[in-house]
Amino acid sequence: MKRFFVHTIVILITSITINLKFGYAQTDDNKLKLSGTFTTDQRLLLKDDNDWAWNETRLSLKLDKKVTDNSKFHSDIWLRNIGLPNVLMSSDLYNKGIVDPYNLEIREAYVHVIGFVSDKMDLTIGRQRIVWGTADKLNPTDNLNPLDMEDILDFGRRRGSDALNLKYYLNNDYSMQAVFLPFFQPANLPAGIFANSLNPEMSFPEGLTIVGLSDTVLMPDYNLKKSSTAAFKFKGYAGGTDFSISYVWGIDGLPFNTRNELIPVTNPIVGIHVNSEVSFFRNHIIGADIATGIGGMGFWAEAALYLPTEDIHTITDMSAIIPNMIQDQAVLDKNKPYLKYIIGGDYFLPDGSYFNLQYMHGFVHERGSENLNDYFFMQYEKGFLNEKLKVAPIGGGFIVSDWKQLSNNYALVYMPSIKYQSSVNSDITLFTVLFDGKGENMFAKLKNFNMFILKFSYSF
Amino acid sequence: MIRIIFSTLILSASIFAANAQEANAILQKMDEIMFSAKDISATQKIILIDKNGNEEVREATMLQKGTDMRMFRFTSPASQAGISVLSLPDDIMYLYLPAFGKERRIASSSKNQNFAGTDFSYDDLESKSFAAKYTAKLLKTESNAFILELIPKTPSDYSKIIINVNKTNYYPEKMEYYDKGNNKIKEATYNFKKLGKYWNTELVEMINFKKNHKTQMIMSDVKYDTGLTDDEFTVRKLKQ
Repeated sequence: MKRFFVHTIVILITSITINLKFGYAQTDDNKLKLSGTFTTDQRLLLKDDNDWAWNETRLSLKLDKKVTDNSKFHSDIWLRNIGLPNVLMSSDLYNKGIVDPYNLEIREAYVHVIGFVSDKMDLTIGRQRIVWGTADKLNPTDNLNPLDMEDILDFGRRRGSDALNLKYYLNNDYSMQAVFLPFFQPANLPAGIFANSLNPEMSFPEGLTIVGLSDTVLMPDYNLKKSSTAAFKFKGYAGGTDFSISYVWGIDGLPFNTRNELIPVTNPIVGIHVNSEVSFFRNHIIGADIATGIGGMGFWAEAALYLPTEDIHTITDMSAIIPNMIQDQAVLDKNKPYLKYIIGGDYFLPDGSYFNLQYMHGFVHERGSENLNDYFFMQYEKGFLNEKLKVAPIGGGFIVSDWKQLSNNYALVYMPSIKYQSSVNSDITLFTVLFDGKGENMFAKLKNFNMFILKFSYSF
Repeated sequence: MIRIIFSTLILSASIFAANAQEANAILQKMDEIMFSAKDISATQKIILIDKNGNEEVREATMLQKGTDMRMFRFTSPASQAGISVLSLPDDIMYLYLPAFGKERRIASSSKNQNFAGTDFSYDDLESKSFAAKYTAKLLKTESNAFILELIPKTPSDYSKIIINVNKTNYYPEKMEYYDKGNNKIKEATYNFKKLGKYWNTELVEMINFKKNHKTQMIMSDVKYDTGLTDDEFTVRKLKQ
């Protein structure tokens, strides 16, 4: 197996070198092109003192260079100030990263070779975003890149992955794609005020007070067998319908809580300290999607069947408090695959306004058939002043986590917005985001975070 | 009497058939002029002009092969660069938005929408011969132009298009677009210039009367018959 991979990599490097060397022809088009977007995203809560909820200034720099006649380099780098000063001690004032939090992120950096080995094959090598799925932003089949949940209101955002991506075009209508990600990259979890939105409620025997929490993340071993991901996709067009079927053998980027150990503590107060372990598990994911037009309406459907490769349990060890008390709770059964899906459509009304409706079963972070909630998302947008002003009075979603007890298990998200194109390369957007709900779902947990958002972006 | 009525009906039908035949022949000749080259590659400067005369300039590249394959790609401004539309036979159109990283088929309901802020709809940019899209009727013949009425063969936002076809060279000079209420909503005027053996659309100006807005498309760097292959008009190329 190891020898196979070594041989494959040697062949790839040789082929890329040949492709790059013999395809070269220096012209003005070969110059490095710089483009990008400057964005500022400011959010404040609508209650009490209008606490600042989000501060982000992002410089997205895109570099493009034609390497040869049949290959190009592309990169997207984010340089950001994100978050608010988090100064706790005077020594923090010496640390610019705390006083003015910033980060640098290579979102993408890859070389794309057209006609690699065969005229009909393209190779993309490097850090890249591999977008799968036909639905609008929320794609159950889009599982190759790790989730970027930093801003949970930016649905569907994922980071780039270091990958080998081969695409073979049988003809204009049919193509096959094979992707290999040599190592695992976990999802990054929500930041700032959204940090606790994904954490499940922890339940322990009555009378126990949690006075401390600590956890250990068990990462998969970094070798080809334990941490790589392989995927295949067949895409086609027939009878007026775009379709694809896909398969992913990969590790879920969100961890599972696999062990909790309860330790009694008496100092400074009486209670328990919880030591947790979280682990990552591998899935087989079989996906399918279609997109077509029905009666002038755009229509799409997408589904992914998740097959865990092993049973997943949460062991809660309370033996330090109650002798021999160890709870074993099944989280996922490898014999019980679960299906996430989305169905949606959009339509342009005769007056030019746009309507989009999607129903989704299972959000990105939900696993196991009994834990999948129902989501209805809707957007209505109308343009004015020759599309310079776009008003979306209807935007948001309705979420149901238990239809049988709907009044206690729902969430509402209302996100009206106004976007104005202030110049050919800049726009300003104002949102209000209102949350309400009850029960165990991500959006209901945000009901204290109703906010006003102002975004300004300038492209260059 | 019956014989007279019968003869009149036959005569009317014959005149009508002859008229339709002549109109369709004119339209086909216009298509031959507009799609005479095997392929075209060009740069387009697109000027958006609002009611106050403020201008916004965009640039795009355009490739066309035959009557039914066209690739249109914005190159500037930065906010629009990379947005591309691929038009293929059988009314298939794809839109590529770089921000989403994937192509999307354009639903028929959106074909009447303005393309990226211009006064041209996706439908207007579709690469398809007029004879295939419309049934023609000759309204009148003027000293320099044939005036045709075009009725869409398939559902469209336009109820009709009145078109002036140059009598000598058969290129369109003006197109007036009417909505379902028979109101003139848009008007396109064309400037053609002979470039080698082909008539080239040097300038198209589309006026939108509803929005009091107009768009000028100016073609430059026009190259004919460079041997573009079908491979240039694929989803694969759209994303490059």
